[in-house]
Amino acid sequence: MGIKIVDLTVTFRNKVTAIDHANLEIPKGIFGLLGENGAGKTTLMRVLTTVLSPTSGTVTLDGILYSKGNFEKIQRKIGYLPQEIDLYPSLSVQECLEYMGDLSGIPKQIYKERIRYYLEKTNLSEHSRKKMKQLSGGMKRRVGLIQALLNEPEFLIVDEPTTGLDPEERIRIRNLLVDFSEERTVLFSTHVVEDLVATCNQLAVMKKGKFLYSGNIKELLNQAKGHIWICKTKEEQVVRELEKKYHISSKQYVGDELQMKLISEAQPKIECSSCEATLEDAYIYIVNKEAYY
Amino acid sequence: MYEIKISLTFQKQVYAIFFVIILSLVRGVTYSNEIGIALEAPIAILAFTFCADTYTQEIASKRLEIQRLYSMKKRIYCIYRRIVIQEIFLLVVAAASYGLFFLFQNPRTDGIGQSGLESEISQFLVYFAAISVTLGFWGLLSNLFSCFFQNMWAGIGGCLMLWMITNSSIGDRYFGAWNLFSYTFRKLENISDFSWICGKIVCICIGIMAVAVLPKIIEKRG
Repeated sequence: MGIKIVDLTVTFRNKVTAIDHANLEIPKGIFGLLGENGAGKTTLMRVLTTVLSPTSGTVTLDGILYSKGNFEKIQRKIGYLPQEIDLYPSLSVQECLEYMGDLSGIPKQIYKERIRYYLEKTNLSEHSRKKMKQLSGGMKRRVGLIQALLNEPEFLIVDEPTTGLDPEERIRIRNLLVDFSEERTVLFSTHVVEDLVATCNQLAVMKKGKFLYSGNIKELLNQAKGHIWICKTKEEQVVRELEKKYHISSKQYVGDELQMKLISEAQPKIECSSCEATLEDAYIYIVNKEAYY
Repeated sequence: MYEIKISLTFQKQVYAIFFVIILSLVRGVTYSNEIGIALEAPIAILAFTFCADTYTQEIASKRLEIQRLYSMKKRIYCIYRRIVIQEIFLLVVAAASYGLFFLFQNPRTDGIGQSGLESEISQFLVYFAAISVTLGFWGLLSNLFSCFFQNMWAGIGGCLMLWMITNSSIGDRYFGAWNLFSYTFRKLENISDFSWICGKIVCICIGIMAVAVLPKIIEKRG
């Protein structure tokens, strides 16, 4: 089942089209959403959470059509962590989560139990008495994630949940999301490609309101295969020329030489060798594919 | 009651208390029956600035995006609870500020129609009843405007305009006993004249309408 988006278009009052005739199927499990800033990811998530209504097209969740009459039914199935959120600064972590649990209509006994469980899972138990305004950005993010999980949603939408987290915490959150995604759908939007590699099999890449790719990560890597090149040079002039001509996905000094990873449809006219594509390379290749032709 | 911590933040409590302390220090009264007149209009300003962010704080903090997933009934109930909490606080502040005038200015109690402690108590009770309606009205109205325009400043600005019109000689001339500030404009010499109650009835009627309309606005505007 999952989510099905058919010919979705969202145009704002100022005539800006944030999503342009997009089609997508999001199956059960974790589904990654990648795209540059302003690609339309947040708009898509706002449509999926019923905050925004589409200009045209249809969206269904487990076969339920997104329409005014069904919004209440859909909203009960959703958990959402927005990109920016300032949770009640005058409440403590425990109070804030209890308050939000109460508002979401979960029986007191159940939400208390879930809060205890998720505080432990996100390593926040010892901070539960701290005021929200006293928390670091990463801690606030984790509290935000807990509130999204409280009603055990069938469809969890998380917009950059790992922003501001240290590596250990990021791994912890990723693992939590993977555990949670069993028999559920999690839409995971992030700029941190590593997080998607570690958690998802499926993903979609957005650019200017359109899906450039949706499907398996392996397939995306295959598409980029043969288009990623490594070259080394000492000459600054060569580096400048290469930067002008190609997308450089990484640069690194190896001894006294500069090693560069180039993305190019055809082999660059310089001594270089083909190499394995990472998801980051594949993403850069896909979003700039038009430019290579 | 987490709503208390959310809607009565420390800063809000401090500015409300400072407001009435300063008011009771700078607004001169000679007789005790002038205290109500001195307080009603400024307390209305306090009410509409205090209550303007009751719901719009959810918009400013982006919590609204999560709130929209909750049932409408819970959301509306939550707004009403916050308003009631704020109004109770303001009522206590308004009552205390009446006492502050006695403390700081020691007004005379031998004016026309004033005769001892009993008269002072009944004078205070009338003030308390009138100010309760004033607080309720301006608090509800500013929240309603804020929710409609999804902006706290629109709530404050809208109320300020209405305040300036009704709290003026023009407002008194045009609306008379039906003016929102009829208690302020009442004739102090005529203590048996309760025609100013008409203005308070107008406040109550508009307040009831604001309570009834609020769910529709939240449903429409999010």
